Amino acid sequence: MRSALATAAPEGESPGQPDAGDILVVGYGNTLRQDDGVGPRVAERIAALGLPGVRTLALAQLSPEHVEEISRSRLVVFVDAAAGGDGPMDLQPIGPAESSQVTTHAVEPATLLAMARDLFGGAPRAWLLTIRAEMLGFGEEFSSGARLGVETAVADISNLVRSRGNP
Amino acid sequence: MSKRIIIDPVTRIEGHAKISVYLDDAGNVTDAEFHVVEFRGFEKFCEGRSYSEMPGITPRICGICPVSHLLASAKAGDAIMAVKIPPAADKLRRLMNLGQIVQSHALSFFHLSAPDFLLGWDSPAEKRNVFGLIASNTDLARAGIRLRQFGQEVIEVLGGKKIHPAWAVPGGVRSALSQEGAARIRAWLPEAHATTRVALDLFKGVLSTHEREAQLYGNFPSLYMGLVAPDGTWEHHGGKLRFTDSSGSIIADQIDPADYRTVIGECVQESSYLKSPYYLPLGKDDGVYRVGPLARLNLCARMGVPLADEELKVFRTHGHGSVTSSFLYHYARLVEILASLEYIERALDDPDLFSTDLRADAGINSLRGVGASEAPRGTLFHDYTVDRDGKLQKVNLIVATGQNNLAMNRTVAQIARHFLKGTEITEPMLNRIEHGIRCYDPCLSCSTHAAGRMALHLRLVAPGGDVVGEAVRD
Repeated sequence: MRSALATAAPEGESPGQPDAGDILVVGYGNTLRQDDGVGPRVAERIAALGLPGVRTLALAQLSPEHVEEISRSRLVVFVDAAAGGDGPMDLQPIGPAESSQVTTHAVEPATLLAMARDLFGGAPRAWLLTIRAEMLGFGEEFSSGARLGVETAVADISNLVRSRGNP
Repeated sequence: MSKRIIIDPVTRIEGHAKISVYLDDAGNVTDAEFHVVEFRGFEKFCEGRSYSEMPGITPRICGICPVSHLLASAKAGDAIMAVKIPPAADKLRRLMNLGQIVQSHALSFFHLSAPDFLLGWDSPAEKRNVFGLIASNTDLARAGIRLRQFGQEVIEVLGGKKIHPAWAVPGGVRSALSQEGAARIRAWLPEAHATTRVALDLFKGVLSTHEREAQLYGNFPSLYMGLVAPDGTWEHHGGKLRFTDSSGSIIADQIDPADYRTVIGECVQESSYLKSPYYLPLGKDDGVYRVGPLARLNLCARMGVPLADEELKVFRTHGHGSVTSSFLYHYARLVEILASLEYIERALDDPDLFSTDLRADAGINSLRGVGASEAPRGTLFHDYTVDRDGKLQKVNLIVATGQNNLAMNRTVAQIARHFLKGTEITEPMLNRIEHGIRCYDPCLSCSTHAAGRMALHLRLVAPGGDVVGEAVRD
């Protein structure tokens, strides 16, 4: 069986393979639940900046098909909403971690990194940027705190990109 | 340190898969109920919105099968406008639905179910997950991810993004396939075929060593429902409804999905928000039907494409008239992936996919519209009633998992009868009940989609209502 599948997956460039990337910004959350949508908003804002070597994904949730793209990045910044915290935004380094609770709706960033390592031979350096969420009702309006968090996040990620991953 | 928030699409039902197993005075299993205890309210809060917004709203029901809701919703809108959409739009919608079937079935088979039957029902829970599968067969795990990636690529090429594409609209679709997009899809096909072939061979091997599971995991007579073409060929987006029974006999055929109320009744369980549809002419007890891959393969005359038709013949050797074991849902998914790949390949040669004639325009010409499409898990109905301004007055959604609810109850009861000894809830029994539910790939929540251990709350209920055994697995 190994040989059949090894033959099926072509060497080098293969269909669906993202360009060899440098920095990947993955913003995820539900854009219809107010502040939970900050992740996709940050990803869209970063995309609009057109920073060289930077790719973005604005997603409702993380899922396994993103693993290959993650594995081909040198640095990944995951952007999510968070409850609580001291400031509008928090930035923490994260690494690969296996989980027995892999779910299709909500795969954790650390789990994706572990899958990238085990399946595609590379877990890039990664940061988890969380923005404090204050309102999580139905709607697309952000709280003032979340708006501030988005601005801060965009600025910090831009700096991170300029420093090539060293905040 | 802050606490992370996980909020999935708006209507995600959070919490455990709650199951009650009912016992008689002698301690024998009499029945089981699979409960959904979180209220979604989706049908209610859509009231007052315009029907034209629904293809943008309803995909938020699910992060796994948003395309199914998108397409059913757009079809309901077509019916309200009373238009026949351009042929190109219909073909493009079909192409997206095929991509959806591939990605969803690939996820179910490779990531969620394969760890159970490849690593063993009694293997440690911390290993019986996708990482256990990666350790045991890295190539298979990687191929499964790439097959899902292919299905998502089809969706993205057409809709512009993988999740919640606002692409299908009442009257048609927003954009055609580009030549570059067609080339992207085509480049994937050899690998996707190879992976599917390997998976089919793998599962045939599993079947030869899992006869007991095939006997016990939801193996009972029932009806089957799905869409078929006018000549009975497998359908996934158009066609009419067909019901068959366990002998393979057709008991109702070519029923317009708009008339579903003549054949489908809906009952509710007091303790669950999940509705339980049944075949109306036979009533709730005798009218249990199954939908989804197993049903579609049981009731169609043929798949309509050569490789899948060959596989259909082999599949049908596992039943007499109909294949009655829900364990064979896994096999049926693989046959449907194969058929989808063949149909995708065929579609790419159709010049209509590149047409610019993509939308029919009209106002409100009907105050009610029903859209039906085959979601990966089974037939999905969107039934909208609107006022003269197109504002929704009533919304009824019949989802695949609801239609399989009564069958899931029977599956759980069947497994419990064989594995429950006294009132002790053992890990092996929980594992098997978990897999019995997973055969249907229920789209209830993250908890029921969990790979490895499913968040599960099982209760044993005595005749008087006392809970005599309970287990919670997080």
